[in-house]
Amino acid sequence: MRVLKVLRTALPVALPIMLGYVAIGIPCGVMAAEVGVGPAAAFLVSATFYSGAGQFMMSSLALAGTPVASMVASVALVSTRQLLYSAALSPYLARAPKPLAALFAATVTDESFGVNLDRFASGEGWEVSSATAVNLASMFSWAAANALGAAVGPALAIPTTIMSFAMTSIFVCLLAGQRWDLTNVLVAAVAIVGVFALKALGAGSLAVLLGALLGILAGLLLGSFKRRGSA
Amino acid sequence: MSTQDFLVFYLSVLAVIVVCRCVPLFALKGRALSPRVTEALGLIPVAAFAALVANDLFDPASGLSVPGLLASVVVVAMARRTGSLIGCALVGMGAYALLGMI
Repeated sequence: MRVLKVLRTALPVALPIMLGYVAIGIPCGVMAAEVGVGPAAAFLVSATFYSGAGQFMMSSLALAGTPVASMVASVALVSTRQLLYSAALSPYLARAPKPLAALFAATVTDESFGVNLDRFASGEGWEVSSATAVNLASMFSWAAANALGAAVGPALAIPTTIMSFAMTSIFVCLLAGQRWDLTNVLVAAVAIVGVFALKALGAGSLAVLLGALLGILAGLLLGSFKRRGSA
Repeated sequence: MSTQDFLVFYLSVLAVIVVCRCVPLFALKGRALSPRVTEALGLIPVAAFAALVANDLFDPASGLSVPGLLASVVVVAMARRTGSLIGCALVGMGAYALLGMI
């Protein structure tokens, strides 16, 4: 009964993410099939890596004949932004049992981070069990879509760029839903300009993490400046 | 890609991903955080989403995606009006597809 209650709460919240993951998970599985990853392996990789950017990168680097060490470094770097999500979510898991906290932490993605953080921060008593169910339901849809894509293979012609814009739209929606005061405007502006500049300079996989850190630094400096001004 | 290469890649990346996802949470979980750390944590969502959007819209080889930028404006309007994630995803894909045809 408790599980059903958690699912009833979590599934409507997870549904937009699940649909988006189906839309981009199938082409991701198609690409994985092109480098010899079968449906079962695609499911396993997707359920454990659970990283869209990392998995698309894995296939494209393998297709380009990139050495394994370079592939590991590239995909590992693109995952480093998870450090920020993990830190930001930590205050909301202070009283969660360790196994549940570990399962939750291990299944956070860009999209589920945004959705769960919104719920935690709303103060409406969003529970860690519901947040974990959102993560797991999203993970299952991602892994199943990847397995399906790997099963049908290149026979399926999918406009990947259009499908992947679903995820960009989710990020835009989550960004638009933030509180827009001077500090947040500055943080967003510095992060955006930072990413543009870092990518132009060739930072590649690290641009998101470093750009976000620059934005946070700018926000902290503005906060410090405001406190000095009011002292 | 050989099976051995795949296993080396898979296990190495999996270890990094698990560390990135779990270590900060367990290092900070239940601790009394200083006001500066709390302030920094509060800035992460805006910074992260802005960086992710910028990353999706800008490619050093082809520059800023104009269809992506314009479709994002449509998504912002949808987000402000409804706040619906799924609505934003659908409208965003539709707008991006239409603008890409122009």
